[in-house]
Amino acid sequence: MRIARAAPVAIVITACALVAPFRDPDRLDPALSFCAPSAAHPFGCGEAGVDLLALVAHAVLRGAILAIVVAMVGLAIGAPLGASAALVRGRFERATDRACDLVQAFPSFLLALAVLSAVRAPSRVHLAFVFALTAWAPFARLALAQTRVLRSASFIEAARALGVRGAPLAFRHVLPNAMPVLAVQLGSTAGAIVVSEAALSFVGLGPRGGVSLGSALEQGVSCMLFAPHVMATAALAIVATSASVIAAGRAIE
Amino acid sequence: MRAARAVFARTLEALGVTLAMATLVFFALRLLPGDPARLLLGDQASAEQVAQLRAELGLDAPLLLQYTRFLRGLFTLDLGRSLRHPAASAASLVARAVVPTSELAAASVALATVLGVAFAVLAAGPFLGTRRAWVERAMIAIASTPLLSFAPIVTYALAVRLRVAPLPGDPDAGLAGLAFAAGLLALPLAAHVARVGRAALEDVARAQFLAAARARGASRARTWIVHALPASLGPILAVVASQLGALLGGAVVLERLFERPGLGTLILEAYAARDLPVLEAAIVAAGALFVVVQAIAAALHATIDPRVRA
Repeated sequence: MRIARAAPVAIVITACALVAPFRDPDRLDPALSFCAPSAAHPFGCGEAGVDLLALVAHAVLRGAILAIVVAMVGLAIGAPLGASAALVRGRFERATDRACDLVQAFPSFLLALAVLSAVRAPSRVHLAFVFALTAWAPFARLALAQTRVLRSASFIEAARALGVRGAPLAFRHVLPNAMPVLAVQLGSTAGAIVVSEAALSFVGLGPRGGVSLGSALEQGVSCMLFAPHVMATAALAIVATSASVIAAGRAIE
Repeated sequence: MRAARAVFARTLEALGVTLAMATLVFFALRLLPGDPARLLLGDQASAEQVAQLRAELGLDAPLLLQYTRFLRGLFTLDLGRSLRHPAASAASLVARAVVPTSELAAASVALATVLGVAFAVLAAGPFLGTRRAWVERAMIAIASTPLLSFAPIVTYALAVRLRVAPLPGDPDAGLAGLAFAAGLLALPLAAHVARVGRAALEDVARAQFLAAARARGASRARTWIVHALPASLGPILAVVASQLGALLGGAVVLERLFERPGLGTLILEAYAARDLPVLEAAIVAAGALFVVVQAIAAALHATIDPRVRA
């Protein structure tokens, strides 16, 4: 129900989902290389005559799905971790706090390289794994902060007095109350992952095959002098996708 | 005594993070499926060629021995020779690449701090009146636009259309190229600094010592710059430190965009060529650089703000 409410907000992604089935990013028409926008190709064409609308629509969809899935995984790992850390208190709480600090400040690019250096051609599954390594931290930190406020609330004390402990306390009583904040974070984490995925494929660490926002941008930068529309399309698609995902998070809240 | 213990704990943590990073790279390359020698030589290589390269890289030794050798190499800064340029050692290539990246990062941190603080004072102080809201809106817009999107567009506008900035890949760009790249890299950081700085300044603005300074006859500019600003430097430093990781990622993107030499370019080239010794050395160096700069920021923060020393 709530997810349905987020769909119109994520207008860019919805539009891409409507367009993608009808346009194929693998159909090349070399005669149309770098042609300017026209009625048949609303965004124009890129290298080897790939239809930019098709390329961007597919890339946005794949990027957004990757980002949303990873953000959900982050939520599923981080939220219970943070909530239980705050409920257990003591050393576990301090260690979780510090771990979040370290993971959030650490350059994700370096981490991605360290892991991706072991594979010849990283696929989206590899990228998703790399992002999931750090995606839990903001959720854990938020759940920790929220639970610190909630743990002294009277309804939690009441639940404790009734003998509710451990996982049921965290999942049934604490986390539902932290959900609105976590939903917003879900959006901004997914938005950040959209940008990171684009950045990694821009520098050449992305999935082979070229259907990603970063490689579209890379293509645009290399032909910046004679076909700036390729770069503009890719750059705007990255902003629009990440803004759209963030807005969807707000709508779910 | 307490300060010494804090420095010691920080150093230990920094060493730990660097070591963890190095270990992760080491084991990722050796334990994950895909033999590095096989990756390097391609599928057509004969078994002898692969075996020879494995021996050359020391990959035929037991894992624990390889790891000890790797750790010893880290401490003696001898991580082997580059596979792509056999004449150069991995350490020397990294040392050469660290310079331009550090220049870029240092220039953009300096620029971002100056810009961010200026904007924070404008947004929080009484200098702009009701137009302060515009500064605030501009900062939010900049902070939420990814560098990856606006850097190419700004480059196109300034370098290709207006021709006021050097073109990407221009080898004679020199100082202008550095200034342009640093300016781009500084923008998001400046927006973060400005937002945090504004909040901190507004906090400080309610403090009594400002009213006291005003009562003693200090001018409005003097109260803000001499009295309020130093008191809010702590949070500003903290936000710079927390953005260092993002800064490093941004530097890699910009090095790629402008084809500048640097740590990012070296890492990407080593990755593309499967130049393992250089790749390992460069990733560890980048991680160590990050950790050291962060430790320095934390130490500075503690020196400026006595409340942080706990």
